[in-house]
Amino acid sequence: MTEIHNPILDVQGLEKHFGGITAIGGLDMRVGEGITGLIGPNGAGKTTFFNCVTGALTPDAGRVEFADGDITGKRPSAVAQEGLVRTFQIPRELPEMTVRENLQLAPRGQSGERLTQAWLRGDEFATDEVRVREKATEMAEFLEIDHVLDAKAGTLSGGQRKLLELARVLLTEPDMILLDEPLAGVNPTLEQKILDRIHDLESQGYSFLFIEHDIDVIMETCERVVVMHQGQVLTSGEPADVKSDDRVIEAYLGEEV
Amino acid sequence: MALADFFISLLTFVTIYSLFGLGLNVKFGFTGLIDFGHVAYFMIGAYVTVFVAMPAGLSETYEGLTGLGLATAFAGVPGGDLLGWLVALVVGMAAAALVSLLVGIPTIRLREDYLAITALGIATILNAVFHNERWLFNGAFGIREVHEPLSGVFPIGTGSFQLNLLLFGLPSVAILGYAAYRTAKVVRPLGVRPALLGTGATLALAGSVVFVITTMTGLVVDLGVLALNVDNTIAFVLLVGSVVAGRAALTETDHIGALLALASALLFTLWYLGQPLVALVADGETADLLLNLFWLYDATAGSAGGLDYDRFFFLFTLAFLVGAYLWVERTVNSPYGRVLRAVREDESVPEALGKPTFRYKIQSLMFGSALAGAAGGLWAANIGFIDPTQFASTVTFFAYTAVIIGGTANNRGVVLGTAVFWVINSGTRFLDDFFPSEYAQQLAALRLILIGALLIVILYYRPEGMLGEQDYDINLGRGGASDD
Amino acid sequence: MASAGLLDALLQGLITGMIIAAGALGLSLIYSIAEVPNFAHGDMITIGAYLALALNKPGAIPFVPEFGGLPLIAAGVLGVAVAGSTGAIYEVAIFRRFRSKGADLITMVIVSLGLALVLRNVVLFLVGSGNINYDTERVTNTNVELYLTGNGLSVQTVQRQAGDLVTLGEWGYGWLSLLAIVVVAAAVGVGVYRWRSDDASFETVHLVSPRVFGVASGIVALAALATVLQGAPHTIDAAVWSTSVGVSIKYGVIIGLTLVTMLAMNLLLKGTKTGRAMRATADNMALAEIRGVNINRVQLVVWVLAALLTALAGVLTGWFASNLNPNMGFSLLLPIFAAVIMGGITSPYGAVLASLIIGVSMDVGVFLLPAEFATYRTAIAFVILIGVLLVKPEGLWGDV
Repeated sequence: MTEIHNPILDVQGLEKHFGGITAIGGLDMRVGEGITGLIGPNGAGKTTFFNCVTGALTPDAGRVEFADGDITGKRPSAVAQEGLVRTFQIPRELPEMTVRENLQLAPRGQSGERLTQAWLRGDEFATDEVRVREKATEMAEFLEIDHVLDAKAGTLSGGQRKLLELARVLLTEPDMILLDEPLAGVNPTLEQKILDRIHDLESQGYSFLFIEHDIDVIMETCERVVVMHQGQVLTSGEPADVKSDDRVIEAYLGEEV
Repeated sequence: MALADFFISLLTFVTIYSLFGLGLNVKFGFTGLIDFGHVAYFMIGAYVTVFVAMPAGLSETYEGLTGLGLATAFAGVPGGDLLGWLVALVVGMAAAALVSLLVGIPTIRLREDYLAITALGIATILNAVFHNERWLFNGAFGIREVHEPLSGVFPIGTGSFQLNLLLFGLPSVAILGYAAYRTAKVVRPLGVRPALLGTGATLALAGSVVFVITTMTGLVVDLGVLALNVDNTIAFVLLVGSVVAGRAALTETDHIGALLALASALLFTLWYLGQPLVALVADGETADLLLNLFWLYDATAGSAGGLDYDRFFFLFTLAFLVGAYLWVERTVNSPYGRVLRAVREDESVPEALGKPTFRYKIQSLMFGSALAGAAGGLWAANIGFIDPTQFASTVTFFAYTAVIIGGTANNRGVVLGTAVFWVINSGTRFLDDFFPSEYAQQLAALRLILIGALLIVILYYRPEGMLGEQDYDINLGRGGASDD
Repeated sequence: MASAGLLDALLQGLITGMIIAAGALGLSLIYSIAEVPNFAHGDMITIGAYLALALNKPGAIPFVPEFGGLPLIAAGVLGVAVAGSTGAIYEVAIFRRFRSKGADLITMVIVSLGLALVLRNVVLFLVGSGNINYDTERVTNTNVELYLTGNGLSVQTVQRQAGDLVTLGEWGYGWLSLLAIVVVAAAVGVGVYRWRSDDASFETVHLVSPRVFGVASGIVALAALATVLQGAPHTIDAAVWSTSVGVSIKYGVIIGLTLVTMLAMNLLLKGTKTGRAMRATADNMALAEIRGVNINRVQLVVWVLAALLTALAGVLTGWFASNLNPNMGFSLLLPIFAAVIMGGITSPYGAVLASLIIGVSMDVGVFLLPAEFATYRTAIAFVILIGVLLVKPEGLWGDV
């Protein structure tokens, strides 16, 4: 197991139980800069792990640190404010709002989002809004969804929704993004496009933790891989090492029986 | 009561309930909170405003808390009673917002259906408290000592009959004219043939109703009306003609809204001006027509006529409605409003993007409740007497119906929907005259059956309501300068 | 002469709880299977009560031809049956259509609200707002007075007949037999519980849970022993403690009918194919449909059952209170919702248990609080609900 000496996300002793079922049992994980893959058979607890880290679920025990601050049990909005955001496995577009509005919602720290500002300081938030609008348009161009900017998000295709989901979290300008199967149900062309963008963004300094089932994609994309099994970290390290690890093969084979 | 007076009181009603509906729209339309206890804030606004304004010892039958007497506190200043009342209203709004905060903190995290039932329960309990606790606000006996701001000043007029007529009559006609102009703009895309068909259908329908009504003896329905005779045959033929023409109009155009606007404008004109016009043609009588046209002018107010208190109070509430409308518009047409709508669509999304949704929901609840509180304060001053039975849960349900008819998440829709709702509910009250009085309760129930059915039908066939959700536009100004 | 006390309030509360349970059982079905938070539920109760009234006392309703009227039992059975068909109407005419459009929860809430408005005003339209009661024999309450004396427990049953108190019966138990009764009854209860849960493997689906079986046998044993071991009464002048519990035949009928209904529901849900389809639908409607469950049929059954249950609750309420009015159902709506949410909406048994808790707390609460709080009887149910939701937002037996 390779050590991460300078982790951005540091999780220690995380536990989560549902009734009598243990979804996560004493998990330790350190995630550094760059693109990290998170793999594991179905039911390994990957999405539950995301939910616990980002505050959608409150962990029963353990500690989550992000960028040297304790974020254990904080509300999702507070975690996002710290610069750690996540996408949802099934994209959650806001159907009755336009794509542009979906995007403009995202940037952090908009002054017009505060009630007093919205009521009293129209001039101030208008300047802000011009900037937000430009950023949203740029992002839409970057992910090539600018032709549907004025469509209701509910009318988008599955692939466009995936892109919108990604665009939205990027617009919050986070330090780290947790991607929950961004490639599931996406055609190969779009898959390549999304992966290219992720690489572009990595070079701009974003870090990713990336749930994916396709081992080959993980091999090509990630510098480091963490394998989860039955609510714990089975192993982690270089993709090539992990791929040949007997325990990993067993975990995956065990699932197929 | 002259028709113009009834018209004014209906308008005041619609204005106050529109304000109430705007508050609901903030919660339900823009934020997606199902607050079935909205009427509680209406009640609190009404009671607190009255309580703060009410001087002590006005009445021996009042056994509640002693009023704070703000209405008389500023007696030295000109218009001091208005000032005192306005402060009382602000306190009433703040009280409504504060109570909604207390209710919201434990309940607003709940699932939407749990929130609905809890809010309904809390409103019911609050109403029971106001009803049972006489030491609080006189319990079931209600409060009769309601301060009506500026009521001592009215009626006002210049002393000159002609000048008064000009001063109040001209704006009246101008407003009617403007309404006609706006209606014409809505109706225009209809085209000539559908418009003629629609007009024909409406007139035939009205004619049919008139024939039935005029053949009734003693204004009482009896079975004889249903017998076959010349009048009934004419009425029946007109009715069939109306249906045929209406169907034809509907098949010829897609502008159903325009057709509806045309029909309602015609019906309004017939109702409001028809009878005076008949009087004018038949007897050369102009008084009724003038009174109806110059509806802001009250001939009986003072020696030379003028603006009476009821008419003033309508304008007063209208000013509040306009202010609240702009306020809500400003709120929803901002990044803040965008977050509210995101909460409505899927709360987890703004939360995951770093927006503290709990705070947004609480603020929306408080804002909507404060508007309901303002409506309550105006309601009390308009009615002049409050008791807990005026604030039953049905008032909340009426507001939901009105908002859904007009168009959820559409502020103009709220006003339109409220108008349609109260025209159906109050406007059809004149039909009561044609039935024996012991059926009054039956007729009231029948109206509510119709309203309940209408709610279901609209939700099924046109869930977005008459106008649909409004468009949003955040004013970017030039270089950022923007204001209303 | 003893005065009413806590025991009396407890029994009252149990009856209240039983009536709430009949409504709550139906609501939990609609809530979990049809996925409609049904705000018309209270008014469905009213409709049921008035349907029985139309058959029992046709003269009271202007639009019903006078035909003399049926005895309340027949009218109740027929009224409940007719109410069942109104459930089918709600489903076919309204809720099926909205379901096929994929209406969301908010829409369903408001649709049910519209239905509630229609139903209540149909009653107002046809009958009017006055209080009215069923045409049936008056039931006289019997007071069971319990006296604790130095020699044991003494019991007197007293009834007011034509203005005079008449003592119907008088008997007593010595300390020894009292002890025996309690110990044996408890032993029977525990024994039955053990026996029922003994053969429990993980897959066993109990038709009646061992716990319920145990409690029921304990109560039966208690009653049987108390009858058998009746002895001579003691002198009650030196009673250390006394209390009076009002009972009437109504209590027995309500408890009996509600229990039989619950048992029937239980059999239906657990023992029949339709019941399994219903539970599968509650679990996951889309999945159930894929697996070949006829959703429309299941929902029809749910609405008919719920309408039957509400009508039963309505007739029982009207009979128990000797009073029907158009608001009777709406005033039950809050406690019923409270019970269903508290019990966890997917658990009919949780709803029944919560109903009993709520019924008992309402009546015991009113007994314990100063007299001026009697008007806040419903509020008590509500305070409990809010308390539960604060601690466990998903309900007591939440759907984890």
